[in-house]
Parts: sequence; structure tokens; C-alpha cells
Amino acid sequence: MAELQGLGAALSEAEKAGVEIIAVSPDPNERSQELARGLKLNFRFVADRDLAVTRRYGLIHARGGEHGEDVPRPATIVLDRGGAVRWLSLADNFQVRPDPADVLRAVRSL
Amino acid sequence: MRAGWLTALSLAVAAAAVAAYALLLRVPAVRNQPEGYVAALAIAATLAGLAVALGRRWYAWTALGLTLALFAGGATFNFVLARIPDTPTALAVGRPAPDFTLPDAGGRPVTLAEYRGKKPVILVFYRGYW
Repeated sequence: MAELQGLGAALSEAEKAGVEIIAVSPDPNERSQELARGLKLNFRFVADRDLAVTRRYGLIHARGGEHGEDVPRPATIVLDRGGAVRWLSLADNFQVRPDPADVLRAVRSL
Repeated sequence: MRAGWLTALSLAVAAAAVAAYALLLRVPAVRNQPEGYVAALAIAATLAGLAVALGRRWYAWTALGLTLALFAGGATFNFVLARIPDTPTALAVGRPAPDFTLPDAGGRPVTLAEYRGKKPVILVFYRGYW
């Protein structure tokens, strides 16, 4: 959540750069919509309800949820126009998120 | 007298650490250095320990117990509970990200490959409503 707010604050610049921000979570769509409205974000929120895509990416924190369920490992990935990974931040502590300034720097250097 | 001041200082440091953690969670520089509040709580416990050494007063002992409990709790949370194991991912810099199609908030499918050749993409995997 915090990382989305941070990116949201930096968004006008990112938008100018013509970037698409896709936020993936197991949250149901209704909740993502609420979140998007609340934060006034222009992200594409997509729902990975069964974590199939998250699992394919290798971004599962096994039994990391409140009730021992699998949850996503927070990650921020910058892809260039060709779809290749250019920058990557994987959380090793669930309190830690990349600084939005670092993400934007990665986008600008594409 | 000195024990009293040290006890007060110890409690002030502990309270500041707890307040900073609670209030500044959205500031990346604070959120991303969670070791900081554990270190502050260690300092608070050390100050309380000094207060006990200087004058074995009940308040110094109380502060020592409290700050040690906060330190143990904070350290356990940060170094054990909040850890995410570093498991292998399907991602490597320079390599394409796996394609996917997932429904967006309006139920429309979003396919990653559709942006290829058009726009850079920031993909954010997050846990949900927190």
C-alpha cells in the first residue's frame, strides 16, 4: 500500500514519461477499485486471485500471511519498451519498499 | 537524582522510537531502515540499565523491564517475523518478464505483452489493502 501511495505522489512525472503502472495483488477487484479511488491513482489494478501469476513470477512468500496463507512477496519491477526487466526490487522484509525516487530514476534511465 | 534523569531519558528514547515507527511508516527513509527503531530501543534499555546501576530505584527497574521488553519485541518483529525468505524468482535483469493476462478493476483483461513496443511498464506486486 505504502509503495503505491509513494508512486502515486510521483506519478505525474511518471505519466509524463509515458509509463504504465500495473499493480498486481490477490485483492478482489472491488477492493482495488476502492483503493484506486481513495488514492486517486491512475494505475491498472489487476487481480491475481489465486496467485497463479505471482507464483509463476516466483514472488510467493510461503505461509507469510496472517493466517498462514501464501501471500505475494512485495516486488517492484521496471520493464523497458521491449518487455525486458531493467530494474528490480524484491522485499526481504515486509516493512521495506523501494523508494519511489529510485523507481523513477530507473524509469528515466531507460 | 542521576538515576531519575537517566530513567526519564530512557523512557523518552523508547517512546520516541515507538512514536516514530507508528507515525513515519509512510516515509520511505524511515520505513526502509527498520533497524533504526530496534537500535533506539537498545539505547533506551542501556540507559535504563545505567539508571539501575546508579541507584536501584523501583522506577529504574520498571524502565529497564519495559525497555527490554520493547527491545525484545521490536527485534523479534524486525529480524524474525518481518523477514521474507530470499526464494528464486523468474526475473532477471535483461531478460523478458513472463507474460500474463489478468482482469483489471473493471473486469477487462490486461495483457502485459500488449505494452511491448509501446510503453515501459512498472509492475508492482503488493499484498493488498494495507
